[in-house]
Amino acid sequence: MTRYKYSASARCRTVACLRGGIAALLALVPPVLHADDWTDDVQVHGFLSQGFVKTTDNRFFGDSDDGSTEFTELGINASFRATPSVLLSGQLLSRRAGDMYDGSPVIDYALVDWTISNTPEHAYGVMIGRSKNPLGLYNDTRDVAFTRPSIFLPQQIYFDQVRNLILSADGLQFYGRLYDEQGTFSLNLGVGSSPVDENVEISFLGSDYGGDVESGDPAFVARGEYETRDGAWRLSLSAAKVNLSFDAAPADPIGSGEVDLLYWIASVQYTAERWSLTAEYMEEPIEFNGFGPLVDSRDSTVQGYYLQGSYLLRDDLEWVVRYSEGFTDKDDRGGTQQSAATGGFVPPYAFYQKDWMVGLRWDVTPSFMLRAEYQWNDGTWTLPRRENPVPSATVKDWEMFSLLASYRF
Amino acid sequence: MLYPRPTSFSKRLSGMLIALICAFPAYADPVLIAHPAVGMRDVSLNSTRLIFSMQLGQWPDGGPVPVYVLPDDSEVHRSFAKDLLSLYPRQLRRVWDRQLYSGTGQAPEAVADPVEMRQKVANTPGAIGYLPSEMIDDTVQVLSIR
Repeated sequence: MTRYKYSASARCRTVACLRGGIAALLALVPPVLHADDWTDDVQVHGFLSQGFVKTTDNRFFGDSDDGSTEFTELGINASFRATPSVLLSGQLLSRRAGDMYDGSPVIDYALVDWTISNTPEHAYGVMIGRSKNPLGLYNDTRDVAFTRPSIFLPQQIYFDQVRNLILSADGLQFYGRLYDEQGTFSLNLGVGSSPVDENVEISFLGSDYGGDVESGDPAFVARGEYETRDGAWRLSLSAAKVNLSFDAAPADPIGSGEVDLLYWIASVQYTAERWSLTAEYMEEPIEFNGFGPLVDSRDSTVQGYYLQGSYLLRDDLEWVVRYSEGFTDKDDRGGTQQSAATGGFVPPYAFYQKDWMVGLRWDVTPSFMLRAEYQWNDGTWTLPRRENPVPSATVKDWEMFSLLASYRF
Repeated sequence: MLYPRPTSFSKRLSGMLIALICAFPAYADPVLIAHPAVGMRDVSLNSTRLIFSMQLGQWPDGGPVPVYVLPDDSEVHRSFAKDLLSLYPRQLRRVWDRQLYSGTGQAPEAVADPVEMRQKVANTPGAIGYLPSEMIDDTVQVLSIR
């Protein structure tokens, strides 16, 4: 069963593992703490979102050309403030996204956060376990619709098809914050292993081969962020360095090799009372080694960026407009050389995507939200390869309408 | 269809809001309050923002700081966030959500109205919150922001 092919990481994302993990974490907490009123220090929260996607052509999150409802996000989390400086937390996530994710519950995070020092001037500490990677403005809560600027994050930066690779890591994450009169400077540094799945293999190697892709050397993640005291400006620079190793099966047409990538994002956001402007820029240099000349020559630098504006029409009604561009190789933005390298099998427009998006968010109550969006696309790069296996069968200019209802508690 | 019309529900909600506003006419500006045993008379603006951002969970003596807030759309909450903290309510919400849904923090305890706020802060050691000044009584202590 291919489902358990990546057993080391896949199995550890199951409920049984979470149960074991939480039991282990709880065992670390001295039982005398808050023995009388410990329930006051436990919080349970969650969210449920259901989407609808209709595209003029191509498939995005299911059979969207006929209208798809194969986009469901369900999360539930619990946290326990064991002492003022120790927090235990975990979240289960079920995500159904077309052909890519079937909704099987996974452990989104499960960690012990130990704040070693916390004063009005500074704070620092360490998180142990599976923690979300603090990348860009949105990665760490990207599956919570209330925290996103739109139904779908700009795919040119927050790719859905390889989301798990950069979503979280199992290991350690150190953090520090410095507060002064003007604002907060924060730094996060993480080291760990990143989970790998079939979507990663298909995206990077072009096909789901007989061999296995596994997380190779430890992954590193870092973010430096500055936020002004009034919350108006946020500036951040973040990066993840990931190594994947592929162990080829005898029948595979490519050899065993390694993929090295560095994914970095520069982000800036300005928030006023009724409007905000956001821009993010991402580059991802990818190197292939050892697979044989056909794959090894595919080294390139992925590039993506967007500019987004939002405006509050009323306190409960927000407009958002965004323009995004992304390219699989910033030195071949038109895709012609890459297309030629495939002998024309993959058309040039599959190597880039430029789109306009407009959307409306209605906060019906503080915990229930409705969204509607329309997107005009030129190019098909961010269409999941798994849902559109024949690149030449995709349509270059396509439009997408989407709806989302989301509830949280 | 991109402009959803207000439903009867939202009409009912705004009706309730109007009723609420009429019930508490002309709220005075909110003031910062704490449990009476908290041994401080004032707190810095910086610390107050950190406490309500759920990033400073301890008093200087090491004791925990339970934080109570009114709903995001309440006038008292808006006024507290904007006038006392110089933050918009949705910035506070963004900070809470980011911590809450990434496992790096907890959300403040939400109370339904100022009466419940006063009762919770009065009965929870170390607690902090805010109230319209005319609702202050001797069950809670007022903290000034310096």
